[in-house]
Amino acid sequence: MRKFLSLALAAIFVLGLAIIPASAEEKVDFSVFQLKVEIDPMIQAFAKLYNEKHPGVNLTVETLGGGADYGGALKSKVSADAMPTIFMIEGIGGYDLWKDYIADMSDAEWVKDTDLAFYSPDGKVVGFPIAMEGFGLGYNAEILEKAGVDPATLTTFSAVKAAFEKIDGMKDELGLDSVTSVGTSIAGELWWVTSQHVFNAFYAGYMDYNDSTLYDNLRKGEVDTERLTAFANYLKLLYDYADQNVLQNGNYDAQVAAFANQKAAFITQGNWIDPNLKQLEANFKMGYVSHNFLEEESTGLYMAAPSWFVVNAKATPEQQKAAVDFLNYMALTEDGANYMVAEAGMVPAFKSVKLLPAGPFSSALVEASARGGNFNWRFGQNPDGFNQGTLGPIFELLATGTSVEDFVTLVTAAFEEIAVK
Amino acid sequence: MKRRGIVDFLFIFPTAFAFLMVIIVPFFMGIYYAMTDWDGVKTVLNWVGFKNFTGMFSEPQFIYSFQITLLYTVINIVLVNIAGFLMSLLATSRVKGRNFYRAGFFVPNLIGGIVLGYIWQFMFNNVFVDMGKAMGLAAFQTSFIARKETVIWAMSVVNTWQYAGYIMMIYVASIQSIPDSVMEAANVDGANYITRVFKIMMPMMASAFTITIFLTLTNSFKQFDLNATLTNGGPAMLYMGKAVRASQLLAMDIYRTANQFNLMAPAQAKAVVFFVVLVVFSLVQVYLNKRREVEA
Repeated sequence: MRKFLSLALAAIFVLGLAIIPASAEEKVDFSVFQLKVEIDPMIQAFAKLYNEKHPGVNLTVETLGGGADYGGALKSKVSADAMPTIFMIEGIGGYDLWKDYIADMSDAEWVKDTDLAFYSPDGKVVGFPIAMEGFGLGYNAEILEKAGVDPATLTTFSAVKAAFEKIDGMKDELGLDSVTSVGTSIAGELWWVTSQHVFNAFYAGYMDYNDSTLYDNLRKGEVDTERLTAFANYLKLLYDYADQNVLQNGNYDAQVAAFANQKAAFITQGNWIDPNLKQLEANFKMGYVSHNFLEEESTGLYMAAPSWFVVNAKATPEQQKAAVDFLNYMALTEDGANYMVAEAGMVPAFKSVKLLPAGPFSSALVEASARGGNFNWRFGQNPDGFNQGTLGPIFELLATGTSVEDFVTLVTAAFEEIAVK
Repeated sequence: MKRRGIVDFLFIFPTAFAFLMVIIVPFFMGIYYAMTDWDGVKTVLNWVGFKNFTGMFSEPQFIYSFQITLLYTVINIVLVNIAGFLMSLLATSRVKGRNFYRAGFFVPNLIGGIVLGYIWQFMFNNVFVDMGKAMGLAAFQTSFIARKETVIWAMSVVNTWQYAGYIMMIYVASIQSIPDSVMEAANVDGANYITRVFKIMMPMMASAFTITIFLTLTNSFKQFDLNATLTNGGPAMLYMGKAVRASQLLAMDIYRTANQFNLMAPAQAKAVVFFVVLVVFSLVQVYLNKRREVEA
C-alpha cells in the first residue's frame, strides 16, 4: 500500500508538470503593449469601448510603468513567446532590432491621414504615429509678467541670459526658489531631460525641419566645436539658475512640481507634463520659447512623433488584421479622436482630427505647428543606450562642476567613438 | 528493489528536470551566446570567439564597476558582520526586552529591496538635505548619494541596515547552541565578558562565521535591487578620461549593457566572468573559514 501511495504521489508530481492550460476562445485575441503610463487609464477605457463595439475581437492593453525598461520587457516577451500584436518603437534603432517582427502597413487606411508615419528604410509604412509631442523652454507667463519680462523677446541667447539674471535678482519678490527647473540626475531617472531633449537643440535647432546635414556629419564624427560650445554655455546657464537639489538628485515629480507650484519660472519639459500640471492644479498661463543657444533669432519648437505603434508580423493573419482595424479606428473615427485628444490629452498626428487638446503646453504646440518654423527630433537616431548610457553621465558631470571645455571634449569623444566609418 | 528505483527516479524527476531546464541548460547556452553576436532578438547567430571577453577589459565603466564592487563587498562583509554580531550579543544577553530587539533588528530584512531603495533615496535626498539646511550642517546639504566619495558608503549603510538583522539571527542560533557549561566554566575560571566573547564564543561559532561571511560576500557581490533603486548607478564621475557612473556595481553594469546598449552578447560575456569571479572568491573564503572551525 505504501509503495502504491508513493508511486501515485510521484506520478502526480510528474503529471503536474504536463498540465497545460486549455483555452477555447473563438474571438480573435490581440494585444497592445505600450509604455505611456500617463495614458494607461484612458487607453484601457478605449480598449473596453472597442471590445464592446466589436464583438468579434478581444483586445487587451498592457502598460509598462513609467521609466521602466520597455525594450528589455519586450525582449522577455519574445523569449517567452508572448509577443504582443501591437507594440511600440521609438525610431530607427528599434526598427533595426525588431524588423523581423514589424509588418508592412502601407495599405492601411490611416496612412493617408498623416505626415508622421514611420517609414522603413526601403520606403514601406510600418509605424502608426501615436501622438505629436514637442518641447521647448516652458515658462510661467504670470511670473514673467510680474518680473517685466516679455516672453516674445526671448529669442536669442543673450536675451534669455538677461531675463534669467533679472528674474534671479527678484526671486524673493516673486516667491521663487530658482529661475529654472531642470533635472539631470541618473538616480532620479531624469537623464533624458537634458541629454536627450535639450541636446536635440544642438542636432536640429535653427535648421529646416527635414535638413539633417548637421546630424549626419555629427554621426560621421565631425563635431562642430563652436556650435557645441555655444550649446554647452546655454546648458550651463540652465543649470546655474536651477535648484541644485532638483538638478542633481531630483526626479520627474520634483522637477514638474517646482514649476507647477510656481517655485520656478522656467522648465525644460515637453507637453507630456500637461496631465501632471492639471493634477497639481497649476492654473496659470504658460507657453514655450525656443532653446536659444545662439544669437540668431528663433521661435521654433521641437516637434515630432516620438513613438509609433507597429504590428507584429509574426502574429496570425487574423490578429494582424484586427490590429490594423483597431489602428484605423483610433485614427479615423470620432471615438478615436475623442480618446486621443479629449481623454488622453495628446496632440493628434492625424489631419482629420479637429478636436483641440486642452492642456496648456499641448495647445502651445498646436499654435506653433500652425505658425511653422519648427525643428525636428534627431536624438532617436542615436545608437541604443547612447543617450542614456554615454551622454547621460556627461550631462550630469556638467551639473556637478565639470567645465564647459571638458564637457565639449567628452561629448566630442563620445561622438567620435560611435562614428559610422 | 527495482520498483524502488522507479519511485526514486519519479520523485527526483520534477526537481531534477526543473534544475536542468532553468539552471544547467541556460548556463551552457549563456556561455555559448557569450561567444556569438547575439542581440536578444535574432535567431541566426555568428560565432565571434573570445572577442566579447577581451572587449570588456578596455571599457572604463566595466573596470570601474569591477573595482567598486570589490570595495563594496569588503565594506559590507565587515559592516554587516560586525553589526550583526553586536546585535546578536545584545539579543542573547539578559537585557530587558531582548525578544523585542531581536524582532526589531530583523524587521528591515522583511522589506523588499526595491521599496527600501526608494525609501532611503527619499531619506538621503530630501530628509537629510532638509535637516542639513535647517541645522546649518554643511556636510548634509548635498545628498550623500549624489557625491562620488560617499555614495558607496551610503549604499553600504543601507545594506547593513537591511541585512544585519538576518545575519544576527544566524549568530543568535549559534550562540544559543554553545553549551552553558562551557561558558560557566570560563566564568568560574575568572574570564570576564570580553574574554569570554573572544576566547570562547567566537571560536565556538566558527561554523556560523563561515555561513555569514559566505552570505554577505555573495549578497553584496551580486547586489542589484538596492543599487538600481537607491542610486541607479549615479552620480556621474570621470574615470580614465570617460564619464562613468560612480555607484554602478557589476550586476547593474551587466544589466545596462544588455538592456540599454542592447549588447546582449557582451553582457552575457560579462555575466560569465562575473560568475567565475564569484565562484572563486566564495570557494576560497569557504576553504579558509572551514580550516578555522573547531569540533564542538
